[in-house]
Amino acid sequence: MSQNQPAIEVSHLRKVFHIPQRDPGLGGAVKALFRPRYAEKVAVDDISFSVPPGEIVGYIGVNGAGKSTTIKMLTGILAPTAGLVRVLGRDPHKERVANARQIGVVFGQRTQLWWDLALVESLNLIARIYEVEPKRYKELLEQFSYTLELGELLAKPVRQMSLGQKMRAELAATLIHEPRVVYLDEPTIGLDVVVKEKIRAFIKEQNRAKGTTVVLTTHDLGDIEELCSRVIIIDAGRVIYDGPLATIRERFGKYRGITFETARPLEHPLTLPPGAEVVGQEERRLELRFDRTRASASQVAAAVMGQLEVLDFSLSEPDLTSIVKQIYGGALSEARPV
Amino acid sequence: MARYASLYGLFLLQRFKVLLEYRLNFLIGASSTVFVQAAGIATLWVVMRQVPSLNGWSFDELLLVYGLLTASRSIEHMFADNLWTIGRQYIRSGGFDRFLVRPIDPLFHLLADRFNHDGIGNFVIGTLLVVSAWASLGIPLLPLYVLYAVLAVLSGGAIFIALNLLTATTAFWIVESVPVTRAVHEMHEFAKYPLSMYHKGIQAALTWLIPYGFASFYPASYLLGRDVGWLVWAGPAVALVLLLVAYRFWLFGLRHYSGTGS
Amino acid sequence: MTLRRLLSRYTGFSGMAAKEFLAYNIWFWMNLFTSAVAMTIFVFFWKAIYAQADQIAGLGFQQTLNYVLLAQVIAGVGESGILWTFGYQLREGRIALELLRPLDFQGMLYAFSVGNWLTGLLSRTPLLLLALLYGLQPPADPLAYACFAVSFFLGASVMFFFEWMLGCFAFYTTEVWGLGVTLFAIQLFFSGTLIPLDMMPEGLRLFAQILPFHQIVYTPVSFLAGITPVSQAPQVFLGQVAWIVGLAVASRWVFSRAVRAVTVQGG
Ligand SMILES: Nc1ncnc2c1ncn2[C@@H]1O[C@H](COP(=O)(O)OP(=O)(O)OP(=O)(O)O)[C@@H](O)[C@H]1O
Ligand SMILES: [Mg+2]
Repeated sequence: MSQNQPAIEVSHLRKVFHIPQRDPGLGGAVKALFRPRYAEKVAVDDISFSVPPGEIVGYIGVNGAGKSTTIKMLTGILAPTAGLVRVLGRDPHKERVANARQIGVVFGQRTQLWWDLALVESLNLIARIYEVEPKRYKELLEQFSYTLELGELLAKPVRQMSLGQKMRAELAATLIHEPRVVYLDEPTIGLDVVVKEKIRAFIKEQNRAKGTTVVLTTHDLGDIEELCSRVIIIDAGRVIYDGPLATIRERFGKYRGITFETARPLEHPLTLPPGAEVVGQEERRLELRFDRTRASASQVAAAVMGQLEVLDFSLSEPDLTSIVKQIYGGALSEARPV
Repeated sequence: MARYASLYGLFLLQRFKVLLEYRLNFLIGASSTVFVQAAGIATLWVVMRQVPSLNGWSFDELLLVYGLLTASRSIEHMFADNLWTIGRQYIRSGGFDRFLVRPIDPLFHLLADRFNHDGIGNFVIGTLLVVSAWASLGIPLLPLYVLYAVLAVLSGGAIFIALNLLTATTAFWIVESVPVTRAVHEMHEFAKYPLSMYHKGIQAALTWLIPYGFASFYPASYLLGRDVGWLVWAGPAVALVLLLVAYRFWLFGLRHYSGTGS
Repeated sequence: MTLRRLLSRYTGFSGMAAKEFLAYNIWFWMNLFTSAVAMTIFVFFWKAIYAQADQIAGLGFQQTLNYVLLAQVIAGVGESGILWTFGYQLREGRIALELLRPLDFQGMLYAFSVGNWLTGLLSRTPLLLLALLYGLQPPADPLAYACFAVSFFLGASVMFFFEWMLGCFAFYTTEVWGLGVTLFAIQLFFSGTLIPLDMMPEGLRLFAQILPFHQIVYTPVSFLAGITPVSQAPQVFLGQVAWIVGLAVASRWVFSRAVRAVTVQGG
């Protein structure tokens, strides 16, 4: 494989599910057997992108956008309905076993460890399944125990672990064969801030040290901000944004917030410069947002101060969450980077 | 091959470690099947005290039939029990995907994932029945006979596994495959007794359609010197063909799964 | 709370059982099929046996056939599966929630079981038809049916409380599978599902009669198969009621101990 070949290449990928329709009861079951009816569900419509080796890509979108389905096709679990997938130059479905040696997957909602086995036994088994060289395995186990703080967990069966412990164990299991491409489908779901931090640090470290390519799916934009330089946003099975994280901020973070603390409650409606609007109001607190392409912070502040006695005010930068909310919220045409 | 054998050994070792941790469950589980078989055998004993034979078969001869079948069944019970729960435990929960992202055969992974200790009880009972019937019937202890009996139990086990594989594969379409597996598996009850006792149609069904007869009646007939023709030699071939057919169907189901997901 | 409201709350649970039951359609047909297989085997088996003898333990072919077929028709219906229920609820950590309901837990499950027995009996109609096809000769005396119904209901209640006591083991072990299978096997033999108790050798028969299992199969079916004459019904019923009273008290006591054991462990 040449150096500049992409790690992952996807073009015009499509997945349509045929969901069998069945009337209830035995009659329905029999009828379905002889004359099956299907409803079509387009989970992935037309997706193309390519990921160079060593990149961490955020793959985001609303619930049901088709993220997990894409990942299942990238891992070889599902065969695409149409389109092309190449992972390290291979077709992951047709060359499932060869592909499996090179990749690691975390499905955040479920474990790949054995419920009743002590973690270290699970890891032993996995290392044998992937034929990790014993000496290398020992090194990695030591390394992971340190960075993921697995120490006491090693002797514990998964069934006794907390969610955060489970995810740390899961990551160790996924990376113990040093895959070149890693898919993480919601790896931080349900975890507290501290564990999230640890996990992000671990992913970053693996990526830096080994040049691991990572595709990360998440609903926590903190993960994206910390890890990804590039984001792919999909909606209804199509890519609606593919580009650097910074660009999203610049291009779509056009609203800024400004909050005032006033001496008296607001009595009559405010007159505001164009592009500014009130978004929240309490007793003596007033929240506004303004389109910074149409008004400036000082214009808005001056306008408010002219009408009210202001004790204090603060400006807020657009945060990624609200930007993405905006994009998800239907700003499709705006979202496409031209 | 060697890799898979050593992997299986490792899976088995881990499984026993878990079982030893739950020693009480292990013992109750392994002996529970003994009670089920005991109920069947006790019934046979109670009835056979009252009559000299069942369709020309003495109590000891019936035990040979029963024992061969139970031993065959135990092989499936110990080594392929996960076929029963593939839908419920692996496909519905998405756990089956885990097998597909690993560089080993998913069927191997499924079977190796859980050795079922409950089958040990069946194995012990089946073997004991065969051995004791063998002794009390005075069947000569010729190497040929012993080899034949071992081969018969192995191919019987393969027939049990193949039929379960065939029915378990339906899980790729209907998810909960247990009722289908159970319905076919239940037919082995017929084979606990000499097939000659049944209507011709039932005999044919248990020979050609759902061939549990090769796990009990035919090998027992051979060992007892009863003449039932060339069929006494057909067991291994039937098992092989059935395994192949079942495996092809499994691959077909797997392709369907990769089209639809869980 | 009026008695009627109380009753309606519990009968609500009986109705739920019926609905849940129908949801498992495919299981339902599978169970029927399994019983049909067993019936078929028994028909051939007993034909072959009676080719060798006119009477066994005083029972002629027709009588045995009647008994065996009917036993298959109602096999399993009178079980309450309390052990599985407890096992499931403990595993899922739901038992505490159940105990919090403002209803008597045992009363609730009893109502649920009664619903299951009724729907269970009804659902076995196809098997009854098959039994008739296989040569079942049902009795002419309407009293025999009444005795069957009463003794089945009482017997199932006996087993409900008995299972309740055994179910308490679930509180002490982590898995009930092995225990359940063992119980199933013992019940299979001693309930008379496979053979009428009359055929057992004396000692075994007495032992079977001391155990409660025969109450859900042998006792009711032998009224229909003409093994127990209707005139003996009052005695039989009285015995069953005595069992119920004893077991009801004992089962509640055992249960409260088991619950305490769990709450102490904090499970
Ligand atoms: N096996 C399947 N059969 C039928 N439909 C499916 C299947 N898997 C997914 N879908 C449907 O395809 C669409 C995309 O699902 P997918 O799981 O890829 O979404 P997602 O982006 O991962 O969502 P989430 O953020 O909720 O995880 C959904 O509408 C889903 O219902
Ligand atoms: Mg998803």
